[in-house]
Amino acid sequence: MDLLWSPADIAFRDEVRHFLDEKLTPELRRFGRLMTSVYSDHEASLEWQRILHERGWAAPAWPVEYGGCDWSLTQHYVFSRESTLAGAPSLSPMGIRMVAHAIVKFGTQAQKDYFLPRILTGEVFFCQGYSEPEAGSDLAALSMSAVDDGEDLVCTGSKIWTTHAREANWMFALVRTSRSGKKQQGITFVLLEMTSPGVDVRPLVMTSGEEIQNQVFFDEVRVPKTNVIGEIDDGWTVAKYLLEFERGGGASAPALQVMAEEVTAAATAQPGPDGDLLIDDPAFSRKLAEARIRTDVLEVLEYRVLATLANGGHPGSASSMLKILATELSQTLTELAMEAAGPRGRAYQPHATRPGGPIAQYEPPPDGYVGGEPWQAVAPLRYLNDRAGSIYAGSNEIQRNILAKAALGL
Amino acid sequence: MDFRLSDEQEMLRTGLNKFLATRYGLDRSRAAAKTGAGWQPDVWRAFADDLGILGAALPERVGGSGGGPVEVMVIAESLGHALVVEPYVDTAVVAAGLLLRAGGQAATQVVERIAAGQAVVSLAAAEEQSGDRWLDVETTAHRDGTGWALSGAKMMVLGAPIATHLLITARTDNGVSLFLVDVAAVERGLETHDLRTVDDRRAADLVLDDLRLPGDALLGEEGQAWPSLAQARDEGAAAVCAEAVGAMRRVVADTVDYAKQRHQFGQPIGSFQALQHRMVDMHMELEQSAAAVYLATLNLGADPATRARAVSAAKATIGRAARFVGQNAVQLHGGMGMTEELAIGHYFKRLTAVQYEYGTTDHHVTRYAQLTRR
Repeated sequence: MDLLWSPADIAFRDEVRHFLDEKLTPELRRFGRLMTSVYSDHEASLEWQRILHERGWAAPAWPVEYGGCDWSLTQHYVFSRESTLAGAPSLSPMGIRMVAHAIVKFGTQAQKDYFLPRILTGEVFFCQGYSEPEAGSDLAALSMSAVDDGEDLVCTGSKIWTTHAREANWMFALVRTSRSGKKQQGITFVLLEMTSPGVDVRPLVMTSGEEIQNQVFFDEVRVPKTNVIGEIDDGWTVAKYLLEFERGGGASAPALQVMAEEVTAAATAQPGPDGDLLIDDPAFSRKLAEARIRTDVLEVLEYRVLATLANGGHPGSASSMLKILATELSQTLTELAMEAAGPRGRAYQPHATRPGGPIAQYEPPPDGYVGGEPWQAVAPLRYLNDRAGSIYAGSNEIQRNILAKAALGL
Repeated sequence: MDFRLSDEQEMLRTGLNKFLATRYGLDRSRAAAKTGAGWQPDVWRAFADDLGILGAALPERVGGSGGGPVEVMVIAESLGHALVVEPYVDTAVVAAGLLLRAGGQAATQVVERIAAGQAVVSLAAAEEQSGDRWLDVETTAHRDGTGWALSGAKMMVLGAPIATHLLITARTDNGVSLFLVDVAAVERGLETHDLRTVDDRRAADLVLDDLRLPGDALLGEEGQAWPSLAQARDEGAAAVCAEAVGAMRRVVADTVDYAKQRHQFGQPIGSFQALQHRMVDMHMELEQSAAAVYLATLNLGADPATRARAVSAAKATIGRAARFVGQNAVQLHGGMGMTEELAIGHYFKRLTAVQYEYGTTDHHVTRYAQLTRR
């Protein structure tokens, strides 16, 4: 048992660094470093995915036969950390990190052959259709109807909080095919083409001004039954499998460490309340140290869960714990970045950032003026957007309910 | 001991609330804040002409009604409840206080114009290296014949894009001095970069390059501005605390309403005990904040140390409460709380900005500790 990296791991790290030095252009780095949420600018993200795909690194966690990498856990971790450190844009999680795993486990050969290669190239870009206006935390209450009509399911209803619905050409969605029995029964997991007649997307403006989330309306949209994943009426099984990927499949610690290092660097340059540097302020440095301690511990905790996964085990309710810890820590760090930004943290300057979508009702200054440093413009937008962390993918209240039941037997 | 408002104060509150309910809908005010000049001049006019709030806490000799801190508290709370972006605290509390204490003909005339709704005044204190510490001033002022010449840079000057006058801190030979600038009279030497804030207000960065001012631009004694600035900072802090209480009242009420209406798992989410306890904690933070505002307001006339201690206690309490209430209001509203569609998202941004205005929560806790050390 040890926490050290082997010489092979260090060699791999150098290989990744060399690749990033060579392929990650300054412009792409800006798109990564000046992100205002977990979502990169769509075009920058796709461009980076294409570059990764050329190297065979677009979907390292997939089975090797479909284009994944035969990496050790440490290598996955090293790759993730080095990419984040270098300021690489994030890839959309919906295709590579989510629906692909459902297709691998539950899909037909035809579905695997069609979708997996196209997800890798970015030709197929997925959004997620889970939540509905009346089915959020209570996801199984979803009511978007899918009526059996020969070869097709005919879908009518609405989905909400659909990230990048306007950019996506496919959606994976949960729809209701039966209303008898328990509400978890009668749900079907479908792949739906966004260009189908009857699909209407309306963007939602978030407090950051960004239009990344959407509400999507469906009016008798026809979905061929060949696009059902798993069995009709048995979509909950697929969804539950995917939720574990969504909540705990990856490692958050590398990104959180980078955030903590950024805050530390900022606080070392910014004035504190008593005329010293902010990093010398006992109140601030204590809060930052506590957050960094939590990050160090989370890294080991995530590592242990990943090790369980690698040995063929199931993360189970531990993924709920990781989701809570990582999102709350991220929120703490975005708050510390706001504090470090000082009075500048109040300025609304999205034009100095690289948000994940267009900005509503905003005209940048004609001369492009930016007050302060770009990271100070990023800080308030990240803070606002990061409130989503404790809401999405099953709110942290729901995760605590799951833990009470599954981990403690209450 | 008496916490009751006088009949006049009660009328002031009722009249203002009625006006804001009919004239200051959130849709209209956000549209005005996000486009064009970013404020509603007709509302400001009505504040002066119809409601008399701009002069409510100013002496009668400058056209005010002779009120004081309690009037400011009443007004600021109502403005906070309606999420008013027009710069009442900046102009009618902070700037008016500085001008009144400075005295002299030029300053007095500007205060008269504030009471009449004809002047918007911004204080330019923060600089890049100072952060939020107003005492750390690198902008300089030199005598230039009968006048003054100022050079330096100020950042995040709230209200500056719509201001008729600026109050600029600058270092002279003897210390920190305060200068009054009539914006319309400036011919050169002042470069402004307009900014928006996350809470939908307007601000600007200023570059002063040999800005020439007349001799009477100096307010008060040269180098002696700090005690008045410290008082203005405490008065501003107390007023935004009251504003935050108004905002939190709306946010707590909206959250409780939402929890009653929103159904998940076949019942209102307000029936879940975990969420009930959270909302009770929000309610208790609000009640403590309201009490803390009285503590600050009723000590604004005390000696500087007593005043500072009370204001720091209040601002630390409100900082903690605004964070807890704001963050949890968003959480309990779920995704809807993160959109611009409901009131809650707009209030959340204001409650975030409040935590950093007139001294952060940490700053006030530290100052309180220093003031209570034996």
